[in-house]
Amino acid sequence: MSMRNTLGLLAAGMIPFLSACGGGGGETPAPTAAPAAAPVAKGASGTGNGSVSGKISFEGTAPGPQKVKVTGDAKCAAMHKDGIEKQAIKVKDGGIAEVLVYVKSGISGSYAPPADAAILDQQGCNYHPLVLAVQAGQQVTIRNSDDTLHNIHGQPTENAEFNIGQPGKKDDPIKLDKPELKIKVGCDVHPWMRSTIHVLAHPFFAVTKEDGTYEIKGLPAGDYEVEALHPTLPPVSQKVTVPDGAAKLDLTLKSEG
Amino acid sequence: MSDTQPVPSRDPAARWRHRWAAATLASTLLLIFAGGLVTSTDSALAVPDWPLSYGMLMPPMVGGVFYEHGHRMIASFVGLLTLILAAWMAWQEPRPEIRRLGWIALGAVCLQGLLGGLTVLFYTPLPISVAHACLAQTFLCIMVALTYATSREWGEAAASADDVAGVRAAAAVTTAGVFAQLVIGAIMRHAEAGLAIPDFPLAFGRIVPSFQTPEIAIHFAHRLGAIVVMVLVARLAVRAGRSRDPRFRRPARLLVLLTVLQVSLGAAAVLSGMAVYPTTTHVAVGAALLATSFFLALRARRVLRRLSVAPVASGAPALAS
Repeated sequence: MSMRNTLGLLAAGMIPFLSACGGGGGETPAPTAAPAAAPVAKGASGTGNGSVSGKISFEGTAPGPQKVKVTGDAKCAAMHKDGIEKQAIKVKDGGIAEVLVYVKSGISGSYAPPADAAILDQQGCNYHPLVLAVQAGQQVTIRNSDDTLHNIHGQPTENAEFNIGQPGKKDDPIKLDKPELKIKVGCDVHPWMRSTIHVLAHPFFAVTKEDGTYEIKGLPAGDYEVEALHPTLPPVSQKVTVPDGAAKLDLTLKSEG
Repeated sequence: MSDTQPVPSRDPAARWRHRWAAATLASTLLLIFAGGLVTSTDSALAVPDWPLSYGMLMPPMVGGVFYEHGHRMIASFVGLLTLILAAWMAWQEPRPEIRRLGWIALGAVCLQGLLGGLTVLFYTPLPISVAHACLAQTFLCIMVALTYATSREWGEAAASADDVAGVRAAAAVTTAGVFAQLVIGAIMRHAEAGLAIPDFPLAFGRIVPSFQTPEIAIHFAHRLGAIVVMVLVARLAVRAGRSRDPRFRRPARLLVLLTVLQVSLGAAAVLSGMAVYPTTTHVAVGAALLATSFFLALRARRVLRRLSVAPVASGAPALAS
């Protein structure tokens, strides 16, 4: 329940409201065919020859998986008769998945967003991926691959809030123009569906794979600060010197308390 | 509503108008419960568009859509009932004040629908959501007034009772107090401060908590408001008891019962972690409390007015404005 939209917005927003009376939400762009882009689990590449790679490990006790009962939608329930397994911290071989690893400081210059769209897919009444990282201004295709309706409701604080209804299989493109981390995205129809979008100012980032490994490519040689950010854990950052080649950086995230 | 002009006899159409108004009132209570369910289940944005739902008149009623679109359907039904009532009043109701009240009810229900749409289109901003909640209670009071003003009792000669003026004053103050408490409750609910104080009856183990956040302050204000309402209801019950008139004593007894139930539901809402049904029933019983208190104030006011004017000529029951 955002407190940012005040009554002043009410008056200012009357025209878009009236034009939206026909159906779509105010932020919903016209649907387009999905571009053939790979899901952004890997970092986009910049212009240098340097790279940072490594593994993000986890120290502590990860909570076990939780079964969430799927109710209220027969189509979702049929796909998940035993419920959906949710796991906030996924650890494999000591590495932790779904961690954003990004260059926090040391980047100079500006980088145009990639032409390829990132895809956030609603499939099997769940989000794929659960953590999506994009560059500011890059197109994000919101895809509904399910034969049921979803609304995708993003609650950024820097970018404009959006809530798009997708009554069936459909693609809707959106753009998040301002850098912003940990944007909560969810479906109000299916309350178990939750995802996180990170929007970065540059292309030097990656999201860890299942085993916690990552690689950020295309970095110009230089000194950087790299941060590992998980949706539910305290972030960890470290300085690293990247030569005109490969640098290695392993970090460890710890559970609080 | 004047008490001095001649009154027409109560014909069958007048009886049906009263029944129609009563049905609209009952539907409004159901609508408030359904609206409460939308917030309790966090389904307000499960349908992102308005006035259509996913571009349709009737979307699949799955998940949160069931609550949000269900609320819209009941709201449309209440809107239709109100439209018919207002038109019926305009056609047949002899009292201009009541005809006007019918149009006011129609305007209120239209504005309420618009506020509901805006709260969806602007992602449930606090001022619009709270205005939507408060206008719902105001509309309920308008329907109480319309239902009572079209009743047979309205036109009957009033028997005297003790301390009617005291009952009227106490009921008016109680109604104002309950309405203020509902406004605070709406702010608390839409600011998601329902669990800002997680324990009950104490607040963080203390009588008065540390007001570290606005959410704690608004939550605590709602608890203080509950104490004020309990005092006001007790005072009203005492006044109604002194009147020795069942016209006042019965609604006052109902008011006491509703207040006890309401405080219990408030405690249950907190202790259950804002479970859907205790929380939503708390909203609906709050509305019933307001309606009962307002009715009592109207009835006392009406009795006083009827005692102050010449009695209606004996014969057929009459409608007085």
